[in-house]
Amino acid sequence: MAHIGNVLVVPSAAPAETRVMRLRNFWSDYRRSWVAVGALVVIVALLVASFGAPWLVPQDPYDLGQLDWADAFLQPGQTGSGNYVHLLGTDNAGRDMLSAILYGLRTSFLIGISAGVLALTLGISIGLTAAYFGGRIEALLMRIVDLQLSMPAILLALVMAAVLGQGVPQIILALVVAQYAYFARTTHGAASVERRKDYIEAARSTPLPTWRILFKHLLPNVLPPLIVVATVQVASAISLEATLSFLGVGLPLTEPSLGSLISNGFKYIHAGRSWLSIYPGVFLMITVVAINLVGDQVRTVIDPRNSR
Amino acid sequence: MFGYLVGRLIQAMMVVFVMSVIVFVGVYAIGNPIDVMIDPGASQEIRENLIRQYGFDQPLWQQYFTFVGNVFQGDLGRSMVYNIPVTSLVFSRLPATLELVLVSVGIATLIGVPAGMYAGYRPNGIPAKLIMALSVLGFSVPTFWIGMLLIMGFAVNLGWLPSGGRGEVGHVLWFKTSLVTSDGWAHVIMPAVNLSLFKMGLMIRLTRAGMVEAMGTDYVRFARAQGLPDRQIVFGHIMRNISIPLVTVFGLELGSTLAFAVVTETVFNWPGVGKLIIDSILQLDRPVMVSYLVMVVLLFVMINLVVDLIYAQLDPRVRLKGGS
Amino acid sequence: MAKNALCSGIALITLLAAAPAVMAQDLTIGLRAGPDSIDPHWSTLGSQAEALRHVFDTLVDADETLQLQPGLAVSWTPIDDTTWEFKLREGVTFHDGTPFTAEDVKFSIERIPAVTGPMPMTLYTKYVASVEVVDDYTLRITTNGMAPSLPNDFTRLFVVPSETGMEAGNEEFNSGEKAIGTGPYKFVSWQPKGDLVVERNDDYWGDAPAWETVTRREIPDDAARVAALKSGQVDMINYVPATDYLSMQADSSLDTFVSDSIYILNIAPSVKDEEPQPIKVNGQEIDGNPLQDVRVRKALDLAINRDVLVNVVLEGLGTPANQLMPEGFFGYSSDIPAPAHDIDQAKALLTEAGYPDGFEIDFTCTNNRVPGDAVVCEALAQMWSRLGLTVNAQALNGTVFFPAAQREEYTMTMSAWGTLTGEAAYTYGALVHTQDAEKGFGNFNRSGYSNPEFDRIFSEGSQTLDTDARRELYEQASEIAMEIVR
Repeated sequence: MAHIGNVLVVPSAAPAETRVMRLRNFWSDYRRSWVAVGALVVIVALLVASFGAPWLVPQDPYDLGQLDWADAFLQPGQTGSGNYVHLLGTDNAGRDMLSAILYGLRTSFLIGISAGVLALTLGISIGLTAAYFGGRIEALLMRIVDLQLSMPAILLALVMAAVLGQGVPQIILALVVAQYAYFARTTHGAASVERRKDYIEAARSTPLPTWRILFKHLLPNVLPPLIVVATVQVASAISLEATLSFLGVGLPLTEPSLGSLISNGFKYIHAGRSWLSIYPGVFLMITVVAINLVGDQVRTVIDPRNSR
Repeated sequence: MFGYLVGRLIQAMMVVFVMSVIVFVGVYAIGNPIDVMIDPGASQEIRENLIRQYGFDQPLWQQYFTFVGNVFQGDLGRSMVYNIPVTSLVFSRLPATLELVLVSVGIATLIGVPAGMYAGYRPNGIPAKLIMALSVLGFSVPTFWIGMLLIMGFAVNLGWLPSGGRGEVGHVLWFKTSLVTSDGWAHVIMPAVNLSLFKMGLMIRLTRAGMVEAMGTDYVRFARAQGLPDRQIVFGHIMRNISIPLVTVFGLELGSTLAFAVVTETVFNWPGVGKLIIDSILQLDRPVMVSYLVMVVLLFVMINLVVDLIYAQLDPRVRLKGGS
Repeated sequence: MAKNALCSGIALITLLAAAPAVMAQDLTIGLRAGPDSIDPHWSTLGSQAEALRHVFDTLVDADETLQLQPGLAVSWTPIDDTTWEFKLREGVTFHDGTPFTAEDVKFSIERIPAVTGPMPMTLYTKYVASVEVVDDYTLRITTNGMAPSLPNDFTRLFVVPSETGMEAGNEEFNSGEKAIGTGPYKFVSWQPKGDLVVERNDDYWGDAPAWETVTRREIPDDAARVAALKSGQVDMINYVPATDYLSMQADSSLDTFVSDSIYILNIAPSVKDEEPQPIKVNGQEIDGNPLQDVRVRKALDLAINRDVLVNVVLEGLGTPANQLMPEGFFGYSSDIPAPAHDIDQAKALLTEAGYPDGFEIDFTCTNNRVPGDAVVCEALAQMWSRLGLTVNAQALNGTVFFPAAQREEYTMTMSAWGTLTGEAAYTYGALVHTQDAEKGFGNFNRSGYSNPEFDRIFSEGSQTLDTDARRELYEQASEIAMEIVR
């Protein structure tokens, strides 16, 4: 802050040293909960397993040429025509469920993360713009955001998914529309506080371009609370996508995510083939719970009220 | 106060406007509802007549203005599938949804609040950790999957409860509800529990946070130092303090539970408005889609309004400002 | 089938399961879908007709294979090229006691255009130019041009009393006020998506109805419907999912009934000069449309293993189909050979056509429109991938599929087709005939198939009043539509 002679000193994001230290502090605080550490390990394992699926599992569930109808409805643990054990059984098309689940998990992750990142970007842009410019622009943008937050996300996502049609890009768009408002609100809240601080005022009085002030100075300072929201939103995007697919407006059965796998398996629960819906559901549950646990701990660590 | 009400009303109108535009543009982009419904044997001539009859040949803005004009005359249109006014279609199914929502919010409160209070009262005990872990489960596990597990367990394997549908309906005063028959309760309990889990997780966390905060206040410390029994402190003082935010959340969640009922109603085949909207989406029954959204938004905003008013009454520090 | 489309798929099977009859007089049925309205003239929806035929009678009745039987009309004869005469049943009364006469039929026909909705019943009265009441039990109908299939269309003509009045609409029917028919059961109550309750009509003109009251309950979800049957909430259900069928057969407390459905899954490859979604070889879009080559279509057909589709994919609940209508329908040809499965010959044909390594193609199907459509879709893609093709299969909801199919945006589709009237004119006129808006033909022919020879034979059939001669022509049309690929 402030002028020293004619030299303007604007603190940008923390210098490298302190950044490392902050990270170290963060980690040592995070480590305190072994549950949260466990959850982080689970997420990493799931990410590796799902994105590494092509090298890990015996079958590419999308390559229809690899499937054999003779293998349909094998129970978990049985061996099929491929001479390997189907750990989680097979579905009606003779598809190895473990392979399908990991590929489906990959789709779910892709959708959840891209929706989260896009919603984050959109939300940050709107929130920062509103906070920086203030006045009418702020009033208008935040009114829109408030408006949207007054609608249940599931309804908005449902309507969007219904009118956009089925497919991965469509579902991502629906989720972004349903979720960006949380980021915009959070960014705006944090940025409004930052804005009033002297260094931003000082920066504004210099010929620095607006975008530079926004991204270089305002953004790093509003990022921590956003990270918390983002983790939770990725989990809820994954869960929302599964729900939409279950309701029949998400992904088509032929491009399975965890949600469509569960939905497909639901048809067989009366026929004693419960593994078709139980296992994808267990993976979905573990994923979402783990992400939420991590988000919870991050919140605890960076929330100043919780500092011990 | 008046300005506040007007602001709220304008907000509601804006939401309704945006949602209806999305539905109109969206349905227009997907294609023609007639093509989804029409019988394959129909000739091109019949098809074109129908498209004209329902106004799908007009430009989108004109279709929309016709709709808005009718709305201002109190006419939300007729279902294309059932040919009955959408208002009566929605209202005929609203009681079932309200039943489900009330029971589930009731369950969430009756279990969530005491559990949260306990977790906040002894935050480091094993039971508190367990309660908190369960609350994470409650709001992260997708509703539909829990619903499926409930059906598998209690309906398919154990055979204790019916797997879906609404039970026998009885009369109370001028109401018709399934909550007065034992059959009705047998049907409602599983979907209601399913729908309540998310809210329950939320209630637990809120109550716990309020409890922890209240336990740390000077007042409580002082009362404890004076030797007042904890029971008296918790129920006499803290309870009153945390009840205000809880009432708010209870009200707000009533609205979003209404929206979330869509999922539970589908899993349990519950004949409410949520099931109706899914069906009309899958049939592209535009009038029903729009009216459902209009009605849910209005209901939602109304509940928020009532909650705000109650809140202002409970807490004199809160002033109602226009708009936000 | 045809040079056009339809490597043809399999006929689906309708399946009912029921708890054995108890001595009770009340029956509760769990149904996949119910009526949209109690007004029998509102919609052509199958579940609508199925429900309302218990309350209302049709002018002409149909048996299990949809072949004509006397209904409210006891006989019908063409008097000249454009006039049909119907003799009506005497001594029939409506539920409110008024006698049934020719005026009621005339009123019903004339009411349809005024009240019908987005699934229009006008479909079944499109040939009617005018209706003349000769006496109480004789009716003459003048048609627009020759209309040999008029009696078939009238199997869907529900008769309401002329006292109903033109202004009565859905509300009056749904409330029961105007829900007055001549059928075996009287209307009691109905809720949209809920229960339709009917009670026995003791004065019914036909066989005495078996039940005192019947409740038809809508349970759209397959799993929920099965659960309702197993827990005894309903006595009988329709559309039993194939996957539950086997366990039901083993269950001694349940009976199952199986019969052929009128729906056939058919595959429609676009044979237009430019296919809507590009077909690729090694990622490169290829010139021309390989599907125009009959050898390619034949290869696709030969690669389909219908035994696997029926016995494995549909778990026994299907019949291999070799044409667009089920056996016994008017115009079904028994001279068309059973479909063969020969992957080597298929590969040879594909090589001959210049695609030894196959190609990449989009294949779009309906999802959950009829039982098993999505799984069959996946299975077909799998079978074609054995042929060396890369098939991008997608099973989409009707809301996405139908409008896009109508805009002809898909290269190859699979959907179910039901011959609702039980005769060839309905199916071939809409699905196989060259698109011709003026004549009202080919509305659902989205593949661009056009065969002058077929069109000629079919048109000749549709202008032949003599039943046997017409049947002969339609059977010939069936063979033309199928033989090129076979």
